[in-house]
Amino acid sequence: MRFLSKLLFIFTIMLFAGMASSSSFAKTVKVGVVLPMTGPIASFGQSAWKGVKIARSLEPTVLNGRKLKLILLDNKGDKVETANAVSRLIFDNKVSAVIGAVASGNTMSGAPIAEKAHVAMLTPASTNPLVTKGMKYISRVCFIDPFQGKVAAEYVYNNLHAKTAAVVVDMAQDYSVGLARFFMKTYRKLGGKIVARTFMQTGDVDFSAQIAVIKSHHPDVIYMPTYYQSLALFARQARQFGLKQTIMAGDGASEEALIKVGGKAVNGLTFTNHFDPKATATPLGKKFVKLYKTKYHEDPSAMAALGADAYFVMADAINRAGSTNRKKINTAVRATKDFKGVTGIITLVNGDPVKSAVIQKVENGKFVYVTTINP
Amino acid sequence: MNKTRNSLLTIAAIVVFFIFLWYASTHFNKYSIRIMNDVAIFMMLAVSYNLINGVTGQFSLEPNGFTAIGAYVSSLLTLTVAQKHAMFIIVPMIHPFDTWHLPFLAALIVGGLVTSVIAFVLAFPVFRVRGDYLAIVTLGFGIVIRVFSTNAISLTNGALGLKGISESTNLWWSWGWAVFSIIIIMRLVNSGYGRAMKAIRDDEDAAIAMGINSLKIKMIAFITSAFFEGVAGGLLAHLITTISPTLFTFFLTFNLLIIIVVGGLGSMTGSIIATVMVVWGSELLRVVDQPMHIFSITIPGVPGMRMILFSVLLIATMIFAREGIMGQREFSWNSFFNMFRARKQR
Repeated sequence: MRFLSKLLFIFTIMLFAGMASSSSFAKTVKVGVVLPMTGPIASFGQSAWKGVKIARSLEPTVLNGRKLKLILLDNKGDKVETANAVSRLIFDNKVSAVIGAVASGNTMSGAPIAEKAHVAMLTPASTNPLVTKGMKYISRVCFIDPFQGKVAAEYVYNNLHAKTAAVVVDMAQDYSVGLARFFMKTYRKLGGKIVARTFMQTGDVDFSAQIAVIKSHHPDVIYMPTYYQSLALFARQARQFGLKQTIMAGDGASEEALIKVGGKAVNGLTFTNHFDPKATATPLGKKFVKLYKTKYHEDPSAMAALGADAYFVMADAINRAGSTNRKKINTAVRATKDFKGVTGIITLVNGDPVKSAVIQKVENGKFVYVTTINP
Repeated sequence: MNKTRNSLLTIAAIVVFFIFLWYASTHFNKYSIRIMNDVAIFMMLAVSYNLINGVTGQFSLEPNGFTAIGAYVSSLLTLTVAQKHAMFIIVPMIHPFDTWHLPFLAALIVGGLVTSVIAFVLAFPVFRVRGDYLAIVTLGFGIVIRVFSTNAISLTNGALGLKGISESTNLWWSWGWAVFSIIIIMRLVNSGYGRAMKAIRDDEDAAIAMGINSLKIKMIAFITSAFFEGVAGGLLAHLITTISPTLFTFFLTFNLLIIIVVGGLGSMTGSIIATVMVVWGSELLRVVDQPMHIFSITIPGVPGMRMILFSVLLIATMIFAREGIMGQREFSWNSFFNMFRARKQR
């Protein structure tokens, strides 16, 4: 009996503690974050989360001093888990808005839930054009695949003066398929010629078949919009077989491991990217890069910068909405205009941003900034 | 006497369960309903996987392939013609397929049937081998399906996947199918065919010597399980409304394998209990990922902590219940009442 009364006593205290804490949270604004913190694409989620955290420490309050509380849920890079997590945030945690997810396929599985519940969902890095298509509540802060493919084609044709190109597509990545398609479209329109198109799958380690095809067509440039692992291996093998052309890639190349694995072979490899820490033009970007460096002792990756931008755009939208009303926040997110973010000046049109891309290059084992291309 | 009583009780239990579902569909929030749908679909997958793997003892690793086929076939059938034209931005869809459109139930059944036909064709090479070799052959089949779905762009939209699939799966569809599949599979297990399946599991050579047509029996198990896996794939696609080849990796099979081993190979009751534990449990465990406030102490949240805890729980289960939660036992009304009777006598 004494034991029972003790237990009852503890429970009562816990109940009060819970009530006290919930009343102190009443003034916070809750925003849900869905990121792949574990699983096959965890490194992207971890980077984005670092960016979001730094952004939050720069701007911890919204609506004149109300704390912005982030609720992070892990989606393991999985569609079913993303749908569950978004649903949990909206209906259980009752958040005002959602930031996430990373991979386009994941975002698309959470999107219909947010759309139906009229909650703004802002993704930092889902570049597939289908993500926002036909949606009123889904937006993003990264540019979309068609834009990146177009920028690459224009750069290759106008700045590198390459008249013929070979394209290597990773069939297993929607990202790669999309980029390649829009690169070819723009490149042909400009007057360039696609002389060879070869395919690979994520995880391939031997590229001799693709290299043989490319070699027989003598292109001026090779466009290979894949992730850094395949790029590094491809570059090594291509150089061994005597291919000396410039390799052009997308933002998937932006990872230190590219240089570690690729060594000398990736020298000269050029790619389009969202952001360059050395070329941040906005005051917010400079502040972010500085704080990120002091905290993590490394340059922020594009993924971290995009995570931060998702946070900043969301905080700005909540401020402009002037309330925690979900619909009002979404209207404000979608009305974002000339927002000076970390990755550039962001204007959202139907949820897709119109913003600049940067061109980067590998030179002597380092990523260097080449130029910024405005839309 | 007992037989009529038991079937009446079973019917009553199902009715009570559906009344509960009706209550849930009107009173629970959408998040809880979503988890209940997940549980139903995984239960269906686990029970049908257990038929081939646990009851018939054929160590097959096919569910991700079969689920993918069911999901793709049924979603391609329920997508409207306009949606299909808008979505295939790389290559347009091959002609006759882009004009086909069916209602949800018909699409699910066609999905299941296509999966069974493929299972039938596949069964001939697959069942020429046994044991570990069978695992490799079926594992390879899963990979073939995945490679096919990424490369047949004009049929599956490749890596871009399908989106905008109608959100037709609700509690009635998912649980209706789950209960239906459990009843059918339980009836099959308790029939003469089921006893033959168990004989093959225990000793295939002895079973053949006793006059059991081993290929035919294995085929029945394989095709039945393929049908329900295909339908479950369709239900899953219509729940999350978007599919792509990455959804159907080996990890899906692996998850199901965990469920049926934890529940007890060969026990449908075990699979049902383990599905609830694994699917619902992993959502409940999200609490440990979050920062916690206990009195005035704040424990920072570590994302991924739930996966560690989950693995520890799995290891503990396997150490303390080596044959899974239920072993090979099943729930039955007789043992349920005997339990009470035994207590009274004490």
